[in-house]
Amino acid sequence: MEILECWELAAGYGHRTVVLVEELKAHKGELICFLGPNGAGKSTLLKTVAGLLAPLGGAVYLKGERLEKVSLKERASALAVVLTDRCLPGLLTVFEAVALGRHPHTGLLGKLSRRDERVVWESLRLVGAEELASRFYGDLSDGEKQKVLIARALAQEPEIMILDEPTVHLDLQHRAGIMSLLLRLCREKGITVFLSLHEVDLALKGTAYVVLVHEGRVLGMGLPEELLTAEAVSRLYGSGVGEFDPVTGAVELRLPAEGPLVFVVAGGGKGAKVIRALAKRGYRLACGVLPENDVDVFVARGVGAELITVPAFAPVGKEALELARPYLKEAQAVVDTGFPLVPATEGNRTLLKWAADAGKPLFSLRSEGFPSGRRAAGLTALLQMLENLFASA
Amino acid sequence: MRRFHWAFFLGFVILVFGVLVASLGWGSVKVPPGKVLAVLLHPGRPGLAEAVVVKIRLPRALGALLGGAALGVSGLLLQVFFRNPIVSPYVLGISSGASLAVGILALSALTAGLSLTPSLLALAAFAGAFVVTAAVAALAPRTRSVVTLLVIGLMFGYLASACTSILLAFAEKERVHGFYLWTFGSFAPMDWGKVTVLAAAGLPLLFSSFLLGKALNAYQGGEEYALSVGLDVRRFRVAVVVLSSALAGLVTAFAGPVAFIGLAVPHLARLVLRTADNRVLIPAVILLGAAVTGLCDLLARQLFCPVELPITAVTSLFGAPLVIGFLLKGKVRM
Repeated sequence: MEILECWELAAGYGHRTVVLVEELKAHKGELICFLGPNGAGKSTLLKTVAGLLAPLGGAVYLKGERLEKVSLKERASALAVVLTDRCLPGLLTVFEAVALGRHPHTGLLGKLSRRDERVVWESLRLVGAEELASRFYGDLSDGEKQKVLIARALAQEPEIMILDEPTVHLDLQHRAGIMSLLLRLCREKGITVFLSLHEVDLALKGTAYVVLVHEGRVLGMGLPEELLTAEAVSRLYGSGVGEFDPVTGAVELRLPAEGPLVFVVAGGGKGAKVIRALAKRGYRLACGVLPENDVDVFVARGVGAELITVPAFAPVGKEALELARPYLKEAQAVVDTGFPLVPATEGNRTLLKWAADAGKPLFSLRSEGFPSGRRAAGLTALLQMLENLFASA
Repeated sequence: MRRFHWAFFLGFVILVFGVLVASLGWGSVKVPPGKVLAVLLHPGRPGLAEAVVVKIRLPRALGALLGGAALGVSGLLLQVFFRNPIVSPYVLGISSGASLAVGILALSALTAGLSLTPSLLALAAFAGAFVVTAAVAALAPRTRSVVTLLVIGLMFGYLASACTSILLAFAEKERVHGFYLWTFGSFAPMDWGKVTVLAAAGLPLLFSSFLLGKALNAYQGGEEYALSVGLDVRRFRVAVVVLSSALAGLVTAFAGPVAFIGLAVPHLARLVLRTADNRVLIPAVILLGAAVTGLCDLLARQLFCPVELPITAVTSLFGAPLVIGFLLKGKVRM
């Protein structure tokens, strides 16, 4: 049976509906992520699902029963929340803060039984915060506070956990830590987790099921791997920022490019960092010749470079070279990124020869082997050389 | 409860007892501590010391102790409820609301020839305090700013004071004097009748506040967290508004508006005990509030004897620098 269901749910404040969800079902041990830009209505939706806001229409069912009909105490032992507000009194020790989660299970004065204390310790252990137990909550970092709030929710021994933006304002390490913790809770403890995120890459990499929320409507729900195409993401967030690449799960920033055209001869992943570095300095870029499956292709496409490609695993042939020739001609500098010298990239060597013959300024990041142009010891040196070149021109 | 708390509590109890004995012994008629204890153990005996201690000093001292406890707990409840470390019944205008109600009753009842019983006074003060507390509580969700809430409270205070002044302007002059003195705040007019009402109403209120400790703890993370752990937030709000205004109103009815006890004592308790657990803080605030207020009353009475100071003069002289110090050192943590 579904542990939580939403039907025709309208969530909002007062008379203003913020989000509409037609149908949503969650089973034991599932992790469901509401993904969307800030202000899409994710928090409102989560709070309604958690019963903190009364639905404006439709209903939420907890194990088949309408949530409003479930008593507060029963609700509290089935459903726990972690909100974006991390305000707890600074003079509470971490242990006491986590023990607040035992509220629905303790008596009139809230005295902890042996079992209550065991559950608090177990919750602290699960989030890896045992050694913080006697510290004051006010002295913790944001990441530690978040762990403590999750432990507090775990101490409720809930079947469902609802987390609003659990990774916001956290550094990379804590973000990854929180996501893997949530996945572990689903798998090992069978807890159903609802969370909201605004980071696409984190949703793609860390969650198993996403609900795309945009301007109060659900655009789709399903596997993030299937749903999160470049088009869907640009619809969700607007296309202004850059291109989302579903393979790498990354968004390359589309930066203004008005400088001189630089032809980057890339391949085998050698081009990615060069392309990014050049794009950030405002050079217009042409990249080639690359097989479609090369990682350099994704980066080059992301930053908006001109691309000359051949099909995956195909050698760089004559046709591709002819396509590259006009760009090469126009280019004011050519960079050899040090692509692997294999039979398939024979054509790219030809490109470099053409450039040298045409007297184009040619720079190479290659330390040995195929010699071409002026050698740059690294990316910093290359950027300096290009700058000098165009400064004198 | 952490283990070392017991030691502190023992200290607090000794402190309260010390203040009580000092209050009973010190004055124009000096009674040594040994004699004070003897009188307390056998209160029925005749004699000058007995009369002074039992009839005059004891009700006043008990009134100050109970009043301080009530004000402190009222302040603690409000601080947790508004999640704001610098609110108190005085700051939020609750004491002024109570004063206004008492003023209306006192000035009009005297003209109408009614007799003012202590319980009638207490009821009026509670009504005045409740109206202001409920109004501030209703407005509070509209603002997230700590400062706006304070300003709202201040404005309510001004409103109530304005009404009181208008009332005074129209009142008969000989009646004004007594009321005017009362508005400065003093435990001097305490007698056994008033203390009985104060204790009969105050002690159950204090005990109820203690029972609210678990809920107060759950509420510290905000309304949504409280709801999510199963706290009936609506009932809780009513309970806090009623308890805090009843406690503050009760003291105001008999001693007038008293500043700073409700604000400073909860912080003093937090500072000493280093905890935010309200189940520990409430008993601590009861004892510390009693000790501090008892001491302030003693000083108000004896500092410039025979001239008696209003108690708010003493509490403010101590309280204001203390609070400024807390704020500047960033020690105001909840």
